Amino acid sequence: MSDHLNIRLFRFNPEIDVEPRFEELQVPTFENMAILDVVMHIQNYLDRSLSFRFSCRVGMCGSCALYVNGRPRLACRTQVSALKTQNITIMPLPNLPIIRDLVVDMEPFFEKWKKIKPYYVSRKDIVDPVVVHPDSNEREFIDEMLDCIACGCCYGACSMAATNEEFLGPPALNRAYTLIADKRDAIRVERLKVVDKSYGVWRCHTQFNCSEVCPKNIVPTRSIQNLKKRCVLKKIGVFK
Amino acid sequence: MNAWAWLLQRVSAVVLLIALGLHIWFLHFSSGDGVLHFGDIVKRLDTGVFITLDILLLICGLYHALYGLYSIFLDFTSGSKERIVVLTLLVMVGIGFSGFGVYGLLWFR
Repeated sequence: MSDHLNIRLFRFNPEIDVEPRFEELQVPTFENMAILDVVMHIQNYLDRSLSFRFSCRVGMCGSCALYVNGRPRLACRTQVSALKTQNITIMPLPNLPIIRDLVVDMEPFFEKWKKIKPYYVSRKDIVDPVVVHPDSNEREFIDEMLDCIACGCCYGACSMAATNEEFLGPPALNRAYTLIADKRDAIRVERLKVVDKSYGVWRCHTQFNCSEVCPKNIVPTRSIQNLKKRCVLKKIGVFK
Repeated sequence: MNAWAWLLQRVSAVVLLIALGLHIWFLHFSSGDGVLHFGDIVKRLDTGVFITLDILLLICGLYHALYGLYSIFLDFTSGSKERIVVLTLLVMVGIGFSGFGVYGLLWFR
């Protein structure tokens, strides 16, 4: 591994810049260096005005998602050595408005979450605790999909989210499925109505871009396909 | 776009796989010498089974292709007026080509 990295860094300050630009920088390397270390080095030693988001540093909070060498990734979980090149281009996450430098506005992203009512609503006729068998298929599937940290990587990779801003996007649909698949949920049908729209599940073309980039190895495409099946079952009166 | 349209897209894909396979087999591999003879085609298209198969292929192929086009169009627009115009146009193209194809197939009877 080389002793330095050639960084091509996206910069945009709406108060000064007319349009975005790229800055070429050299950053020294060290063992186990992550992309988050790269941007922190730049901010600490080269340019203190660089803006980026991070919090936990261990891939739990989902706030440091960036577009690194043409692919959305979590900056804290992406090792520089894994990129297998010393030339690295760092940009903000695609498909979201840029606030400044590497910081994007997550408002449109969470507006879509709100549409599917991302919280559990308990049925009135059930008495807690409800027994959900630990090794049931339903439980295993929901558990896996609940690992989502809402980092936005899948949203940034989704070509449908890129072409149409009304599309709910993989994370909101994935979240909707975890709730719709939960038999204890009281508003499953209501949720299904929200996703059963042209700009809900039917916009997904099963390209698997979202699944390809998910840092938690979730497959939102699978949730979306299951939602489509539920929509058909609802039409023929099987899903109630 | 809705659940029925999506389901039909899936069903038409399965039908296309089977009908297209049969169509290619009978058209190119079923004759002994491997050469396509006009007389054989006329004879084949005089039977109800082959006419049904070809009509199925025609309708499923058109539906699958036009639904795909409409779906791509929807990726780039959100205006309801444009959607109605394009959908009407595609339905007309579908009906027109279906009618034209069915007429062509029945002409051999």
